[in-house]
Parts: sequence; C-alpha cells; structure tokens
Amino acid sequence: MSTTQVHANLTDEQVRQISGDLDEPEWLLETRLEALEALEDLEMPDVIRTPGRDWTNLHELDYESLVDPLNAAENKDQVGPDDVDVLPWAEAVAEHEDLIKEHFGSIVDPQENYLTALSTALFSTGTVIYVPEGVDAEDVTIRTEQNSRSLFNYTLVVTEESSSVTILERQSTGEEQDEQYYSGIVEVIAGENSNVQYGSLQNLSEEAYNFSLKRGDAGTYATIDWIEVNLGTQLTKSGVSTELNGDSSETQIVGAFYGHNDQHFDIDAKVWHRAEHTTADLVTRGVTDDVARSVYEGVQDVGRDAWDTSSYQRENTLMLSDESEADASPKLIINNHDTEASHSATVGQIDQEDLFYMTSRGIDPRSARNMLVEGFFVPVMEEIAVDELREDLEELVGARLRQRE
Amino acid sequence: MSSDQDHLKETDTEARFEFKKEENSAVRSGKGLTEEVIRMISEDKDEPEWMLERRLRALKQYHNMPMPTDWPGQPDLTELDIEEIVPYIRPDVDKREGVDDWTELPDEIKDTFDKLGIPEAEKNALSGVGAQYESEVVYQNMQEQWEEKGVVFMNMDRAVKEHPELVKEYFMTTCVPPSDNKFAALHGAVWSGGSFVYIPEDVTVEMPVQAYFRMNSEGMGQFEHTLIVAEEGSEVHYIEGCSAPKYGAHNLHSGCVEVFVGEDAHVQYSTVQNWSKNTFNLNTKRAICEENATMEWVSGSMGSKATMLYPCTILKGRGATDTHITIAFAGEGQNIDTGAKVYHNAPETSSTIESKSISKDGGRTNYRGLVHIADGAENSSTAVECDALMFDNESTSDTMPYMEIEESKVDVAHEATVGKIGDEDIFYLQSRGLDDDDAKKMIVAGFIEPITEELPIEYAVELNRLIELEMEGSLG
Repeated sequence: MSTTQVHANLTDEQVRQISGDLDEPEWLLETRLEALEALEDLEMPDVIRTPGRDWTNLHELDYESLVDPLNAAENKDQVGPDDVDVLPWAEAVAEHEDLIKEHFGSIVDPQENYLTALSTALFSTGTVIYVPEGVDAEDVTIRTEQNSRSLFNYTLVVTEESSSVTILERQSTGEEQDEQYYSGIVEVIAGENSNVQYGSLQNLSEEAYNFSLKRGDAGTYATIDWIEVNLGTQLTKSGVSTELNGDSSETQIVGAFYGHNDQHFDIDAKVWHRAEHTTADLVTRGVTDDVARSVYEGVQDVGRDAWDTSSYQRENTLMLSDESEADASPKLIINNHDTEASHSATVGQIDQEDLFYMTSRGIDPRSARNMLVEGFFVPVMEEIAVDELREDLEELVGARLRQRE
Repeated sequence: MSSDQDHLKETDTEARFEFKKEENSAVRSGKGLTEEVIRMISEDKDEPEWMLERRLRALKQYHNMPMPTDWPGQPDLTELDIEEIVPYIRPDVDKREGVDDWTELPDEIKDTFDKLGIPEAEKNALSGVGAQYESEVVYQNMQEQWEEKGVVFMNMDRAVKEHPELVKEYFMTTCVPPSDNKFAALHGAVWSGGSFVYIPEDVTVEMPVQAYFRMNSEGMGQFEHTLIVAEEGSEVHYIEGCSAPKYGAHNLHSGCVEVFVGEDAHVQYSTVQNWSKNTFNLNTKRAICEENATMEWVSGSMGSKATMLYPCTILKGRGATDTHITIAFAGEGQNIDTGAKVYHNAPETSSTIESKSISKDGGRTNYRGLVHIADGAENSSTAVECDALMFDNESTSDTMPYMEIEESKVDVAHEATVGKIGDEDIFYLQSRGLDDDDAKKMIVAGFIEPITEELPIEYAVELNRLIELEMEGSLG
C-alpha cells in the first residue's frame, strides 16, 4: 500500500532534530517518534466512497516528493491582547509544558490516520492560545505564510471557565513552488461556560495541497463556533468538528468555499452530541466553477445519552459551470429519540428567473451573475461575526468573480 | 458425476478419498454452493441449457465477489452463514410437496394472520401453503382477462419454458447482471420462482396485477425473481404481497426484481413485505426507464432481522420520471437498512424520493440513498425527503444520502428530519379522550399516510394493521 511511501524517506534523526530545535521535552519527542513509527500501519483519512469511486483520491498524492521536513520556512505573525497568552510553539513549550502535556493529542489522536501522524511527527511551527478564567479576548490573529515546499502547523487553544476568545487564522503562500503541502491540526478545549470563536481563511497557492483537521471539545455550557473558509489549493481535505461533551454546550460550524479552475475541495463538518441539552447548527455554502469539484460530508451524531438534542444542518452548492461537480452527503446518526434534528442539502445553478429579473432592470448579465453569486454567500456571511473575516471573504469572492470571463 | 470423481476412481487412492468425496457430495456438509447443487436445481426445473449456463456463470461470479462488510452503519451479516443455505436446496427439490398443512405452520405466523383478520383462503395463499397453486389461479384469471391483448403474467419458472425469447433477452442481462453484487450473483445461481409480467405496446392493464407468490418448498421461495417488461406506451401496476413469513431454519431471502419501462410506459411496483424476524432480507430491485417513461416504487418493509434493500431506477431516456415512496419499521432486534438509488443519465429526467421510517424497542432503521446526476443530464431535478420517527431511546435511526452531481443545470434537494413522537400531540389526543396507545397509533397512521394512500385499500389496511400489531408488540 502507498502508506509507507513517506516513512521510507523519513528518519528518526529528522524528527529528533525538529524536536530538538524547538527544545521539546522527552515525552513530546516520544509522541512524535511513535507517530512516525505508526505511519506504515496507518490508513489515509476516510473519504466517501460510493460504488465504483472514491470521492477524493488521497492515495494518488506523492507525499514523498512533497514533504521536505528540515527545510520548513514561513513568515508568521501571532498576536493577541495582553491578558491572553498567544505563544509561538517553542515559547509555549517552555512556558506551558503542563498545559500542553495535558491537552496535546487529547482530541485529535496523533495516530488517527496517516496524515495526522505525519503532521504530529513533523510539525515545526505552532501556536498555543491560553485564555485564563474570566478573560474576554478579541482579536487574536495567527497569520501563516508558507515559504517552503512543506509546512506542518499545530494549534492548541485552551479556554478556562467563563472566558471567551475570538481567533482569526489565515494561511497563505509566500514563495510559490511547483507543488507545496500545508498540513494543520487545531485542537480547542473550551472550559466550562467559555466561548471560542475560531475563524479560518485558507487562501494558499493553487499549486498547493492541504490537509487540515480542526476539532473542539466543548465543556458544560461552553460554545465553540467555527468559521471555515476555503479558497486556495488544488486539493484540500478539510475537517471541522466539535464534540459536545458538556451538558448544554453548543456549536456552530459555518463553512464557505469557492472552487474554480481544477480545484478539488473535500470538506466535512461533524458534530457529536454526547451530553444533555446540546445544540448544533451546521451551515455551509459553496460555489464550483470551471472543472472544480466539491465533496461535502456533514455528520450529526446523537449519542445514546444525548437527551434533549437540537441539531440542524444545511448545505447548498451553486454550480456555475457545466463541467464542475458537486457531491454531497449529509448524514444523521440518531441514537437518542429525544432529538429534534434535520438536515438539508441542495445543489443547483443560478436561478434563471432571478437573472432575467435583474437584466430586465438594466443590469448587465455579467454583473447580475456576480451579484447573485455574492448574494448566495449572504446567509453564511451573516453568520460570520468576525468583521475582518467577513470583509476579506467578500473581497476575495468579488475578485474571483471579476476574474471570470 | 464430476470429472474429479471420475478421476479418483482411476487412482489407487480411491478408498482414501472416498470418504472425502462423500462429504463433498452430501449437500449438508457445509461445503457451500457447488456446481452440483446448481445443476440439481436446473434439472429439477427441467430448464433449457442456456438457463443452466447462466446459473453456472452467476455461481462463478458469486464465488469471486466479496460480502458487503464495510459500509458505514450497515447491518451485521456475521450471523448469516451462506454455506448453510445450500442444504435446504437439496431436500426442497426432493420433497416438492413441502409443508402443505396450515396446522404445520409456526404459531407465530398463524397468530399474525389471525390478528390481521385475513380469511382462511387468503391465509393459505399468504402462508405459502399450496401457494404455487394459489398463484396459478391468480395468473389464470389474469390471463383470461388480458390474454387477448397479449399480456403475459405467469410464474417465472414457467416463463423460461414458454417465453424463452423474452426471458433470454431480459433475464439478468442489462438491468441486474449477476456481477452487480454478491447477492445478485447468488440469486442468479439459485433463483427459483417469481413472476413474469409482459405488457405489449400501448396496452393499459387497468386493474393492479397482484401476486401472492409463494413456493411450496422451503428455501426455493427465498430467491424469487420478478421480471416486468412494459413495452412502449403500456401501463401496469404490479403488486406483490410478500407478507410471507419464513419457517424457522431459513435465514436468507435474496430476491431480485427487474423492470423494463419502455418509452412512454408507466409501471408501478408496490409491495408490502413482512418477513419473519430471523430472516436476512438482501435484495436487488432495479428499473430501467426509456424516454418519457415513469417508474413508481411503493414499498413497506416490515419484519426481517436485517434488510439491505435500495430499489434503484436508471433514468436512461430523456424526460423519464421516477418516484420512490417507502416506509420501514424496525422493532426489537431488527435492522432495516433501506433507501433508494436513482441514476439520472439523460436530460430532463426527474425523481422524487419520500422515505419514512419508524423505530421502536431498540429497532434500527437506516435510510441509505444515492442520487447520481450524470454530466449531460441537464434540466434534471430530484427531491429527497426522509422522515424518521423514534419511539424510545433504545432505537436508532440514521440517514445517509449520497448525492453525486456532475451536471450544473439541475435542481437537487435533500431534506431529512428526525423526531420523537410529540408529547404535545399525544397530550392533545389524550385530552380528546384517546388512551396513550391509541394516540400513538393515530400519530403513526398519519405519519405513514403518504404510503398508504398509494396502495389499493386491502394493502393499505394490511400495512396499517401490521404496523399497529408491531406497535402493540403482539407480533412474534
């Protein structure tokens, strides 16, 4: 199987060097080495399969040629207000070892699949955000600009009781190469009654491949809201999920993507209701153009003990071209009957009547189409409480539309 | 006698291998489906050579295909030992009379019919007692009424002999080839009985064609084949009363339905199935629609230990239409994995899927659907709606739709809801003087109404009664 391809090329020494450069404790090095060791036995992340096809073929990627562990280069900016710790990885290791030891890999198992293990073994950059009890923090930003063939990033967010934080993360490409690989894992631990808002804007080079996995654990009365925007790369496999482990916890996952040229987005949004009175709202809107392809999987999993659950999901895809493809699979898995749950998904093109109405009002067809696409994103824009992210998205969508013939 | 055995006779070690040979040829030996068994079935049915050849080819394909094991949330099939089915073939062929006395039926089955209020004559038909005979009567009537117009409605085994040209053309060739899946291959090898319906061009069969089809020998009846060919401009409603419970030892029903809907033709296939709770119900049902053809599936899936059934329509011609209306009920220990598949392979095709499920007492229902809109199937539309009703916290209900959309000029919508039986609804009905049980029954009857109104009255009544009985927990 192709799963051993990179491992053969990677050595313990490389991993030791990465860990040593960051001055990591022995236990963390061990975790990395174990992940490296496990590579040969691990499978690629699950992708949707229907008769005769894998919806996303990760096996076709040549990771061996993409991964260059000792030459990582980036331009990073990580800032936040004074009462919150926003620390680069090496500093965080020095200052908050106990916190990291407690939470690292607690939600995303380093050995969950081949790509999480690869990420764990090789990550050389990262951020720890620690929000103490009762602190309300806005404007934490993490900007990562990739300047090397491969870059592995890790983010840990821990909020103490009754705190709140808004985080905005962006990934972009500085120095472009023929092919690049960006891998990012985010773990969020939201303490009791805390509130985490995590927005992410992925706008990497269209030559790049991307694997990202973001997962949160919501404590009692906690809220975790995700905003996941994907615009760049030629292939993205992105997963955003929340475990509602505390009673009365809540989550919202807002997704937006816009694929053109030959981009391929494989996006999933998942929620596990594991406690009582939990609420989830999943909303994703995406556009596919040219020969782009989108694959969406949404899962609402209601556990046996999740009494009084409310869970909603909707996904809409707009196809702008005849050669694009949009696949969707919204799933409901219900084990507790005290549940109100629904999901819906639609795929369609621009409404011809709307277009006709606008052109009959004197708007030229191209502008009319662009306005309708921008309008299509409004329901998710409205859910994006981070002004900066919303404005950036509007601008990027507008630019992409204007770029269109 | 196989060539292996001939060969053995010539060797010195014959005596040593003799014991082994006995084991092999004894059908109960657990050696699985063999060529010998297939030849035995075919010979017993006095089949033409070409059908035997098809069976043998299907057998080969069966052995080369994997079991479905890794679908997310699929029913557990580990208790299903296909090797154990074979022994039931041989004795079946031997004793054609089978169980032919009402009194020999298990109590559970007799009770069901009593509770359903089904009259004795119909009980006999439903229970499989002399069903072959009963079926013939039904067919005979149909023939009298329609034969002048060229309508054919008969037992599939008979059709092989009497309409070989039609059967040769349509039987497991383009619609459900045995290579489709392991159970289609199994079916192709050991199929037996079923219905053959042929409607000539522009003929409308105004009354539903009904089959209470049962074989009188155990085992064989579990692999019935239904083949419906509706020529251009014809119309037919075919109903299968499949509320036939199976006897104790039998544990697999693997039927196959193939429907060919010609240009402008209209076929409705309705079925109410109620299998015994030890049955694995693994079927393949598929229709191919030509230009402007309409296919309607109406089904109630009751009973069985595990069901895997996803009726499929291939919309091959421009303007073809498909409708699925299904209801599944899962009670204690049952896992009903059902749904619908539609392939939109031509422009201006449309489909609607309405799926309802009820789970109770630890029952597990699953909607698994696939809607595929091929590149070029422009101006096609599909709407999928799934509703699940759950009675208690031991039960499970999953919805897993897959939508593969390769064409942009389409309209695709999927919606699913899950909810418990509303306390307020029950309270309201109770305040109007209904007791708790009656209130629940009334809510369920309302919930399944979209299905029942598509069925002729006697089937609607039967379905309602079956569900009421399931809710009372008074069925085996």
